[in-house]
Amino acid sequence: MDWNHFIIYAFAAIVCWIAGAVLAWKSSRRLWPNVLTLLGLGIFFSFIVGMWVSLERPPLRTMGETRLWYSFFLPMVGLVVYNRWRYKWILSFSTLMAVVFICINIFKPEIHNKTLMPALQSAWFAPHVIVYMFAYALLGAAFVMVLYLLLRKSKPITAQEMDMTDNLVRVGLAFMTFGMLFGALWAKEAWGHYWAWDPKETWAAITWMAYLAYLHYRHYAPSKVRPALILLIVCFVFLQMCWWGINYLPSAQGSSVHTYSLN
Amino acid sequence: MTRTKAWSIKHGLLLGGGLALVGLLLQFLLGPIDWQLISWPVNVYLLLFFVMLVVALHLMRGAFYPVRWLTSLPAAIGVLLWITAITLVMGLVKQLPSTQPPADALGITRMLSFWPFVLLYGWLALSLALVVLQRLLSFKWRNVPFLLLHGGILVSLLTATLGSADMQRMKLITTVGATEWRAYNQQEEMVELPIAVELNRFIMEQYDDGSPKRYASDVNIYTKSGNNFHATVDVNKPIKVDGWKIYQYGYDTAAGPESRISILELVSDPWLPAVYAGIAMMLAGAFTLLFISRKIKED
Repeated sequence: MDWNHFIIYAFAAIVCWIAGAVLAWKSSRRLWPNVLTLLGLGIFFSFIVGMWVSLERPPLRTMGETRLWYSFFLPMVGLVVYNRWRYKWILSFSTLMAVVFICINIFKPEIHNKTLMPALQSAWFAPHVIVYMFAYALLGAAFVMVLYLLLRKSKPITAQEMDMTDNLVRVGLAFMTFGMLFGALWAKEAWGHYWAWDPKETWAAITWMAYLAYLHYRHYAPSKVRPALILLIVCFVFLQMCWWGINYLPSAQGSSVHTYSLN
Repeated sequence: MTRTKAWSIKHGLLLGGGLALVGLLLQFLLGPIDWQLISWPVNVYLLLFFVMLVVALHLMRGAFYPVRWLTSLPAAIGVLLWITAITLVMGLVKQLPSTQPPADALGITRMLSFWPFVLLYGWLALSLALVVLQRLLSFKWRNVPFLLLHGGILVSLLTATLGSADMQRMKLITTVGATEWRAYNQQEEMVELPIAVELNRFIMEQYDDGSPKRYASDVNIYTKSGNNFHATVDVNKPIKVDGWKIYQYGYDTAAGPESRISILELVSDPWLPAVYAGIAMMLAGAFTLLFISRKIKED
């Protein structure tokens, strides 16, 4: 298995996910959307496992590899939301987002070689990054929900829809907390300190606190929906900054120990 | 919450603005904060002072509305927005190491020593401490997730900040065959350690493209307490000796596998167990958040 096989697996997975999303619109029965989405997830995950085996390390080092996990988790989160809240449209959105990230990986693949620098050779590596990617996928789904609610003019936003958004954020934030604290425990073993205000850490703190502000605000003024949703957009911008934006941020150049893909 | 005098988020934003102004004044009068001044035992006195302040404020809460307000949701939102904003400034301005003075007139290139930053985080700690104390005194089992999350952040934040002055990080440059006990601290001063390290061998493995796969030091450790042993120090696998952790830090990169030296880092952080206790509380709290997420709202 190598990166050249990606397009085949990705195509097969996308076909399954699109079929599942279309069937979710067409009928109220949830069996086929579930079967097809799970099949797509299985195909996609088998590629991830194949890469893991052939690279002899977890495929989590480069930005391209983290996008791989993100494209995997998005339909998974979409499926959970679909089953939990019965939203027909969520699978279309999660599929669309996954396709965007898959396309980035097809058109701009980053070097995926076997090298794994000693700093990354740790039992903490996989849990730290996978948990973060899962959190990002949940918060990505929450962001999609925000866009849907803000752009929809046909009917007012219901309390149940806000409840779903809050739950996505709450679970996403819980996973983000795991990712951040696993990172702190790992940093102590690798770099000698659990928190060094490295640019990546600073932006992780900004993102984490902004989402905390959102949850507290929701608790404080449940009926004031628009300011909350706008705050959630800001949170998601911070998250993107933390994930990849800082690679282009002048203040973070040359000072981050978190850069592993640009060597 | 008192209906007649309910302060809103606006008051939180005003309080933050006031703290930022006071901080700027202090920055102007006293200059950047020198964290070395609060090293042991000053940090312990500061912690005791903080605890007494929290208890005193808690006792005043019935008579004094602003104290009650500090534990309210609008205050929490206010402080979260302010610390997000000030940390955002930190994320956008390139930061200098603590050994250098700030490069700008305000002092925001050394944000950790910038008074407004520290005062705003101080407000966070105070609000957290008051709300945790309040919920502890009226303990209910259903508040356990709340206490774990808020208490965990409080414990980590306080002990990491106060303990930072007691943290020692030393760079020890060892040469193959020699025994070394002198190291450089963060101020680049040479200091003598209670531990000596003899480098037997520098180990390095490479990938086909020449990038490092593994580098490690085969060493003998000698301590003043007579604790002598042989060990291998790998990246990601520090060894523990008498309250110190020894890390593989670097080597002569020009020589690569032929390097005759190995740079080790020795770190001592006596407050670490307290910080980890806070982290453990947060992890447990985040875990409960997955299961009780829907119930919190009815609170």
